Amino acid sequence: METMQLEKKDFYFDHKFDKESCRHTLNDFQTVLHCHHYMTLTTQMAEDAEFLNGTEVLTTTMEDTIYKVLNHYYTKHNITDLWEKISIAEQYYSVCGLGQIKFNHVGEYSASVDVLHSHIDEGWIKKWSKRNKPVNYIGRGFVQAAMCLFNDKPPRSYQTEETKSIVKGDPKGEIRVWLDWE
Amino acid sequence: MHGNIDREKVINELSKIEVRGNEEGLIPGYNVLVNQLPTEFWNQFNERISTKVKPELRQEAEWLLYNCARECGYHTGYGIITSDEFKSVVGPMIKDQPEDILHGAYAVFTAWGWAKSEIVELEPGKKMVVRAYDYYESDVVKYGKSPKLSSYMIAGVSAAFMDLAYGGEYPNGFDKFECKQTKGIETGDEFAEFVVTPKDQQTNW
Repeated sequence: METMQLEKKDFYFDHKFDKESCRHTLNDFQTVLHCHHYMTLTTQMAEDAEFLNGTEVLTTTMEDTIYKVLNHYYTKHNITDLWEKISIAEQYYSVCGLGQIKFNHVGEYSASVDVLHSHIDEGWIKKWSKRNKPVNYIGRGFVQAAMCLFNDKPPRSYQTEETKSIVKGDPKGEIRVWLDWE
Repeated sequence: MHGNIDREKVINELSKIEVRGNEEGLIPGYNVLVNQLPTEFWNQFNERISTKVKPELRQEAEWLLYNCARECGYHTGYGIITSDEFKSVVGPMIKDQPEDILHGAYAVFTAWGWAKSEIVELEPGKKMVVRAYDYYESDVVKYGKSPKLSSYMIAGVSAAFMDLAYGGEYPNGFDKFECKQTKGIETGDEFAEFVVTPKDQQTNW
């Protein structure tokens, strides 16, 4: 299936550096630069922390963070149309350096997302090479947050699964999303 | 102490760099892929892991968080100090190696928002003491004092910087130094402090 192309909504990029505190903000949220070593090791640690359900912690940490970031952006810039929300979410993913995602379909009960490029997958391959298990827990958290906002639902409303994965050798990743009815 | 480094100039120059993903949504640079995430993401993950873990496993979990930053600091740190940006801004100030490179690295560390930090004591190859006066990892506390020090990232990167300076030629110098955080804003101190010494002289982890 071809990846859908969506018209792009202009992205507002407001970067500030506070000389006194030496902190950076992007669109009113404090940000920091880190590398794929940090992200891959953090992800590996989450997998190792099975007794804490570490990968769920990683996914929901990203969901909670991005929910706040996108919600603030949508409110501040009066983004109300679904196509605008989708376009901004896709661009935010890329601005953060997380890669490139495209929402193929979005509904209230489900969605499908192509992952055309992925910081964690490509970083993992760069550091350790391919493997036979998906690794994009942060991408899933990002998509879960976006879906909640697309459909005016609170965090934890959606579940996700990576059905294709760049780190496994697929040409692109795929995240399936469904409304959590349990 | 800043050696021969004009710290203010470095911070002023390098804090202006604006970063965003390319057409593939990736940020390649300094021999790594960079990401630009809200500090809240890193703080929340570290705090959820280090707080949720059973007390008998906390030290192990904290070591893993520290080690993530140590490897990051070693590889990305090398990419930074060998980058064109570092060479053009910090390079002309370097007179004493590797000490000035270390001072320059903390100016970059400050400019890029990891921590407003500086070296306050340096015995080449033996000991380094770093202070951080403002850093995102302390944001885990909004009221009162935490019972635990939480600056895993600064500690890990500080160990890595000493590895780069005195551990031997990259990439064979990793894991020669360890860092212990001795003070923290999150625990009620005025500033955070980190002591880096050769690995065989520390037993903190």
